[in-house]
Amino acid sequence: MPASVIAKFYGLLTLLFLLSSMSAVRATTFDIPAAHITKIGNGHVLNAIINYPLTPRVIEALDNGIPIVFFQEFKLLDITPLLGEYWQWEETLWRTKIRYELRYHALAQQYVLQDIATGKERYFPSLEGALHGLGKIQNFSLPPEYLINTKHLTFVLRSGIDLYALPTPMRPGAIISSKWHLTSPWTPVQWH
Amino acid sequence: MALDFLKRFSSGSAPYFSLAALLLPLTYLLSAATQDSSRFNDLFLVIFGLGIATLLLLMAILGRSLIRLYRDFKSNQAGSRLTVRLVSLFVLLVLVSTTVVYSFSMHFLHRGINSWFDVKVEQALNDSLELSRTAFGIRMRTLLRQTRMMAGLLNELPIQDVNHNLHELSKLSGAIELSLWTMDGQLITSSMENTVIFIPSRPNETIFHQLETQDAYISLDPEQDNLQLRAAVLLPPKQGIIQQRFLQVIFPVNDRLSELGKTVQDAYTDYKELSYLRKPLISVFTLTLSLIVLLTLLASIWFAIWISRRIVEPLQALAAGTQSVASGNYDTQLDVSSHDEIGFLVRSFNQMTQRLTHARNATEQSHRLLEQQTNYLTTVLGSLSSGVITIDNKLFLRTANIASSKILHLNLQQRLESTIDRLAAQAPYLLSFTQLIEQKVALGESWQQQVELQKKKAPQTLMCRGTPLPNDTGWVIIFDDVTTLLQAQRNAAWGEVARRLAHEIKNPLTPIQLSAERLQHKYLPMLPADESSTLTKLTNTIVQQVEAMKNMVNDFSDYARNPGLQLQLQPIGKLINEVLALYQSNTSHQFILLKSPEEIILNIDSVRFRQILHNLLKNAIEASEDAHLEVDIIISYHTMMQDNVQWFEISISDHGPGIPANMENKLFEPYASNKTKGTGLGLAIVQKIVEEHGGHVWAENIAPVGASIIIRLPMEGAIQ
Repeated sequence: MPASVIAKFYGLLTLLFLLSSMSAVRATTFDIPAAHITKIGNGHVLNAIINYPLTPRVIEALDNGIPIVFFQEFKLLDITPLLGEYWQWEETLWRTKIRYELRYHALAQQYVLQDIATGKERYFPSLEGALHGLGKIQNFSLPPEYLINTKHLTFVLRSGIDLYALPTPMRPGAIISSKWHLTSPWTPVQWH
Repeated sequence: MALDFLKRFSSGSAPYFSLAALLLPLTYLLSAATQDSSRFNDLFLVIFGLGIATLLLLMAILGRSLIRLYRDFKSNQAGSRLTVRLVSLFVLLVLVSTTVVYSFSMHFLHRGINSWFDVKVEQALNDSLELSRTAFGIRMRTLLRQTRMMAGLLNELPIQDVNHNLHELSKLSGAIELSLWTMDGQLITSSMENTVIFIPSRPNETIFHQLETQDAYISLDPEQDNLQLRAAVLLPPKQGIIQQRFLQVIFPVNDRLSELGKTVQDAYTDYKELSYLRKPLISVFTLTLSLIVLLTLLASIWFAIWISRRIVEPLQALAAGTQSVASGNYDTQLDVSSHDEIGFLVRSFNQMTQRLTHARNATEQSHRLLEQQTNYLTTVLGSLSSGVITIDNKLFLRTANIASSKILHLNLQQRLESTIDRLAAQAPYLLSFTQLIEQKVALGESWQQQVELQKKKAPQTLMCRGTPLPNDTGWVIIFDDVTTLLQAQRNAAWGEVARRLAHEIKNPLTPIQLSAERLQHKYLPMLPADESSTLTKLTNTIVQQVEAMKNMVNDFSDYARNPGLQLQLQPIGKLINEVLALYQSNTSHQFILLKSPEEIILNIDSVRFRQILHNLLKNAIEASEDAHLEVDIIISYHTMMQDNVQWFEISISDHGPGIPANMENKLFEPYASNKTKGTGLGLAIVQKIVEEHGGHVWAENIAPVGASIIIRLPMEGAIQ
């Protein structure tokens, strides 16, 4: 893929991100304004932007040292239409979930974003930066064995807060409160 | 369908099994969570869900029990009030104790959690954090200055010497990593303290953003729990170099400082987290405690209802048993389910009912015995020909046998419990009888007396005997109808008189008559004519009187004769016509015969029946002639039913002067006639023959003038 195309794509993503951050106040859930799968060589990579408009309740918890676990879930579906768009047969070919922990390091005055699976950490002096870093999915490799023929395939993703990772005392309140239910809907990704 | 299922589910024991099925895992999970607090985190929602489910089920069971209790109370079922009282007492007790425990628990909970936090500790932690930040700030400013100097130095060097000097600078400054980057993110060169790692740490986007506006960046990075200082400084523009460059240097923090910093960070974060979780923690503990208290409370109330019902159940059974006994079911026996006081009560109840049953059986046996005796007495009294009645001291009729009703011609069985005065009012002919009883009862001693019942058709004579009942409870009066007996006695006496008269008088009459005739025959020719007429007159008188005496003696003989009836079936109409024909020769006499529409055949002695007719017709003719009235006689006969017996009734009526009042009672007695002619035996003979036929005869005056003799003969054995 030529560099100019990638630059344009990221420019578009940034624009969308800015537009979406303007409407973040109104947003009640996380949303995925842009998601795109590109074929590079024999493989396919996902690039996406996820907006994380946190509610004051979540920000308050974060500022008080509570680690918040975000998840990003991906599904590759094989959809066979049986009766047009009204009745479809869905088969999940592949799915995965990536979990990140975001916490505030008071001494360093930095937000630490950690990939729970790998333990890899990134540091951000601001929450906006950390959420931006979290929401930017760049060149996420997809399993090539399922992507030989992408004609009937649909790739969807969503992101949210793992409420069951919260400390126990907070869990019942978070489960019943709409201020913690911020999971985005399943969003289909465009194939390029 | 779902409603039916719900009804069936809720009505049986399924709710209790479901409750047990929920409580068992809940108890297990609570036990597991108590022993290992980390498991509580995982099990919290399951425990909470199970708790809520148990609570709801318990509420449903309790609601059902309360509704049942309310219905019992409203319908006033036995024992419901006591149950309600017991339940109220239990609930009050449980409420008070639980409320006290709950209040204290809540108080200690709040106090306990709040005691974890202290303003001084919080301030100390804040200060230590601030102190650490300050300490690191000084170090950061020093290192930033050092980085600036290194950047200035590198900028002075030609491009080809940069890489070599970078290594030198790295060694001199003690940095972990030195790298030179363009603002496009391209690595120009780098020097690593650790020679194993070749790729330097890429500056994050924040560094790029900051260097776009400022010339330097420094931060403290908590790299894998080891603190590092990252500094980035823009290199001043240099001729020949187009792209803007910056130097990134990562300095280590010495271990002791890093360790202290980590300790401060962890303590501060933990305290802050704990402080933030204080409210949710209190809420969760409060919720859990409330749930447990509510569960305990509801379970206690349900248990209170259950235990109250268990306590009241035997009492309810006792109440039901008592009601059953009250309604007459003495065989009621209750199950003895316990050995306490209630069990003792139930046993006593069972003994009482057993005794009641025995007593009832004994009473029933006595009653049966009494009934048998009464039946026996009734049968004996019923079979008696004598009338037996009992009256109490207030002269109320208590008992009367069948014969009494027959004798008095009044159904006394239907008039029990009425006074004898009332009987007299209903049947006036009983007045003399009731008056006699009243008089004699007033004397208070046993008595015996004959009394006449003034009946028009047939006067009755009763022989009454009265005896006081034991214990002065009343009187028993026994009476017999002696009318027939007296009549028979009279008839026998008259028969004897007649027989003797006939015997004693008839024998000398013939010699007297013959002697008179001989006197006349012998001495008449010898006497002169004037004296012969006298003799003739005297002897004729003797002969006539003797003839008259003979007739009289024959009548007596007829009356006294008792030849026995020669019964034969006779057509009665023909018989009457034959007799009547003998009287119809006298044209001045008028006879009217009112026939029965059907022919009646009676089993009678025709000769004696003819005599009856002769006597009655003769009597009627003489009665009219004596009063110088026209002889106008009406004869009517027919059959009729009375007292379930078919009777033949014949009446012979004249238009004479009627029966004088002083003759009414003795009309049929011999020599009761007030006529100038006849022997006075005509009606007596009639009555005798009628009674021989089993009938009876009576006389009535008819309006406006005249009298009627009525004969009634039973038709049993007669052919109609």
